[in-house]
Amino acid sequence: MSIDRKIVTKNAYRITKIRNKTALRVRVPGGHLEAKYFQIIQEVAEKFGDGTVHLTTRQGFECPGIDFDRIPEINKMIRPLIESLGLDVDYGDGGYPAAGTRNISACIGNRVCPYANDDTTRIANSLEKAVYPHDFHFKIAVTGCPNDCIKAHMQDFGIICLTEPQYESKRCITCEACVDNCKKKVTGALSVKDYNIERDIEKCIGCGECILKCPAGAWTRSEEKYYRMVIMGRTGKKNPRLAMPFIKWATEEEITQIIKNTYGFVERYIDTSLPKEHIGYIVDRMGYQVFKMKVCRKGGLYHARNFFTGRSTGCAH
Amino acid sequence: MNNPYMPRPYTLISTQKETEIDTTFVFEAKDRFIGGQFMQLSIPGVGEAPISISDFDEDSLTMTIRKVGRVTDRLFAMKPGETLHMRGPYGNGFKQEWFRDHDMVVIAGGTGLAPVKNTIDAFVSNPESIKSLQMIVGFKSPKDVLFKQTLNQWQEKVPMIITVDQGDDTWPNEVGLIPSHIKNLDLTNVANKTVIVVGPPMMMKFTTLELLRLGFAEENIWVSFERKMSCGIGKCGHCKIDETYVCLEGPVFNYTKAKTLLD
Amino acid sequence: MGYALTKQQLNEYLKALGRQYLLVGPIREKAKGTFSDTDKIVYGVFEAFEDLVLEEKAFYSPKEFLMPIRETLFHFLDGQIVEPKIDTKPILIFARPCDLNGIRRLDTIFLKNGDIKDSYYERRRNLVKYVMIECTEGFDTCFCVSMGSGTYKDYEAAIRFDGNQTLLDVVDSTLVTEGLSQVIRKDFVPEYIKENKVKVVIPPIDKVNNSIFEHPIWKEYTRRCIACGRCNTSCITCSCFTMQDVEMSDDGLLGERRRVWASCHIKGYTDMAGGHGFRKQNGERMRFKTMHKINDYHKRFGENMCVGCGRCDDVCPEYISFSKCINKLSEIIKEESHE
Repeated sequence: MSIDRKIVTKNAYRITKIRNKTALRVRVPGGHLEAKYFQIIQEVAEKFGDGTVHLTTRQGFECPGIDFDRIPEINKMIRPLIESLGLDVDYGDGGYPAAGTRNISACIGNRVCPYANDDTTRIANSLEKAVYPHDFHFKIAVTGCPNDCIKAHMQDFGIICLTEPQYESKRCITCEACVDNCKKKVTGALSVKDYNIERDIEKCIGCGECILKCPAGAWTRSEEKYYRMVIMGRTGKKNPRLAMPFIKWATEEEITQIIKNTYGFVERYIDTSLPKEHIGYIVDRMGYQVFKMKVCRKGGLYHARNFFTGRSTGCAH
Repeated sequence: MNNPYMPRPYTLISTQKETEIDTTFVFEAKDRFIGGQFMQLSIPGVGEAPISISDFDEDSLTMTIRKVGRVTDRLFAMKPGETLHMRGPYGNGFKQEWFRDHDMVVIAGGTGLAPVKNTIDAFVSNPESIKSLQMIVGFKSPKDVLFKQTLNQWQEKVPMIITVDQGDDTWPNEVGLIPSHIKNLDLTNVANKTVIVVGPPMMMKFTTLELLRLGFAEENIWVSFERKMSCGIGKCGHCKIDETYVCLEGPVFNYTKAKTLLD
Repeated sequence: MGYALTKQQLNEYLKALGRQYLLVGPIREKAKGTFSDTDKIVYGVFEAFEDLVLEEKAFYSPKEFLMPIRETLFHFLDGQIVEPKIDTKPILIFARPCDLNGIRRLDTIFLKNGDIKDSYYERRRNLVKYVMIECTEGFDTCFCVSMGSGTYKDYEAAIRFDGNQTLLDVVDSTLVTEGLSQVIRKDFVPEYIKENKVKVVIPPIDKVNNSIFEHPIWKEYTRRCIACGRCNTSCITCSCFTMQDVEMSDDGLLGERRRVWASCHIKGYTDMAGGHGFRKQNGERMRFKTMHKINDYHKRFGENMCVGCGRCDDVCPEYISFSKCINKLSEIIKEESHE
């Protein structure tokens, strides 16, 4: 059997250990899917695969045990799944147009979770539209709060949703529930002075716990939503590491722009002599300052507040 | 606005150090007081604190105060001639007519002696107003003893047990917790004796239990409650126990009432 | 005097009232909910009918317009003690019968408990008039009927928002604006709710004694209650407060004394100088609150404190239901008195 391995991989089918069998990877941005699509996945698995479905670590589905020659039929069948991504281009019956940039995963976010500071699914969807399809191997995840349930710290780009707590002293009853909680559970950013609560903006990580704890509505959410982006976390055999802080109190436009700019950076600096150079290693090779300068230049980001220094990112200088 | 929260200025006349942490303050005052009532000490910008009246006469008001917080810290820094603010008096106090012609026992623990001091003084200086008087006064240790001179004067006139929880080599009086000394009182005709108990919550609890065990009648026991007070006028809610507001109906209660007041 | 107003006439009427009164009613605060992307319904100042939220219950009660969360009692200025002035524009509160009955409880505590009236409460109270919002359906957690507080007769005006037609009964002549003379007269007698989904049985006042203090029911609440105090802050009848003094200059010559809502569920409520406190267990606090709301207030003032607005149920993060608690207590007391 002759297969163009590069083409099928790009089409979201993988090479498996079983000769002549492939597996389809279904993207589910934000890990949230309308239940009606299960029917398609079920049909693919039962009609073409081995009747099982694997839930991937990145919140997609993988249908194993598929014969390569059934790919065109499957691609036709999964057209609604690809259309559900809402991409600008219509890919017809061609199946997934790329697989390099991985499914953008997200915790359940504020559609359900009381801790979440934003709708992570919506952000994942909107990022998906901004970056997909692309062949570069990027891993992006969005988490609703600094609890980081989605493990944003294991991604090339981890986005942590924040709120900037707003304090209204005239509603405060000085019960200190926020202070006690912040001390025990968060960073101890709050303290009491003259019966008012003071928030140390250096220590505050924008988790919003104080708002959740307040019985009197003295703490509320900021009108603006904010994000902390951690970058260049990775697993893998060579030098695995947690992502390090890159920018805090950023807007959604800023984080989107940074990710988009990074595609340009990779395009320019990737070592094409290697079969595939991962973004983290490129940044290590080029140095943090070069990376920062390049990804911040476009979109007026260079002056964006709250960038972390190279030291704190742990990236090579 | 007829503002019940408006404190009035009082001039400090003198101070008398009682222990390392207790001092007696005498203020110029022409108000009418009843022993066992309390004042809200009110230091602008610092806070208010309920303080028992320990003594008074036509021109003065005396309070023995322990240094335990922001308000009392500020008070302890004051010198005679300076003024401070108070409002009150609040509460019912020990009404002398409750005790007229009674065989009286007064049991006081620690700073609990302060709210009952004026009442004891009245008993001691007007012995004809009551039938008899005996007392137990207890403190944690010899260095916590309040009103040393007064105690000596009383002791000359009245049978009195002075005890400390923990004595030392020089302590000339009794040792042991107050309840353990009650049986040493003259308990003849115990069911008709009237007793006033004032002190910390635990001391009051075990003292009244012992009194009842020894045959004192519930209706003859009077206690004074100490609770958090913020307004002193039945609004803030802190001192409410069941349907009773300690600041309005207390702090002095007959035991028949007090025993129903569970926090 | 009864009127039938069109939507436009209603808004014109509100506009005219607004010149005279600060209009307060249940309104939506966009994105100010506890959780992200949620709104909060609160009592606040409004202008037009469209600002009012009638299909949801407000998280907090209107009590903050009578007893602000923080109220300055005195300004201290270089030895002088000054009472702060307040805005003297009269306030017109649009609220349902349960809340209006609740405010009557506040009146009782601040004006009738003990010989001394609370002057700060009184001066605000004297500025307030009420437009009763007719309420015949209630919400899922309401139990006003059981508490006898689903009706209210002492309103200055009553209103029924009914589709395109609003019916209005004006009792207080100062609420009859010039514009109303153009409006169709129609007699309107407000109706009241007859039955809630939730019903409670209040244990007979004289059957409750101190033996209930030892009952294991309170242990359950020690385990479940987190003592956050939301049940108190949302309650229309919780009126406790505590004092706060602040020095605002280094020399101590400028300062402020204020009172701030306090709560029997929240730490420190009973703590005295020196550290001794009462009711350390959260179940004991639940018991204290329960007894106050349905027993000891009644013993003192002849009616229950709780008006059954059900906000404590709505806001409890631990899903503790006060109406359930009352009913459990009733059962226990019924069983015990049979034994």
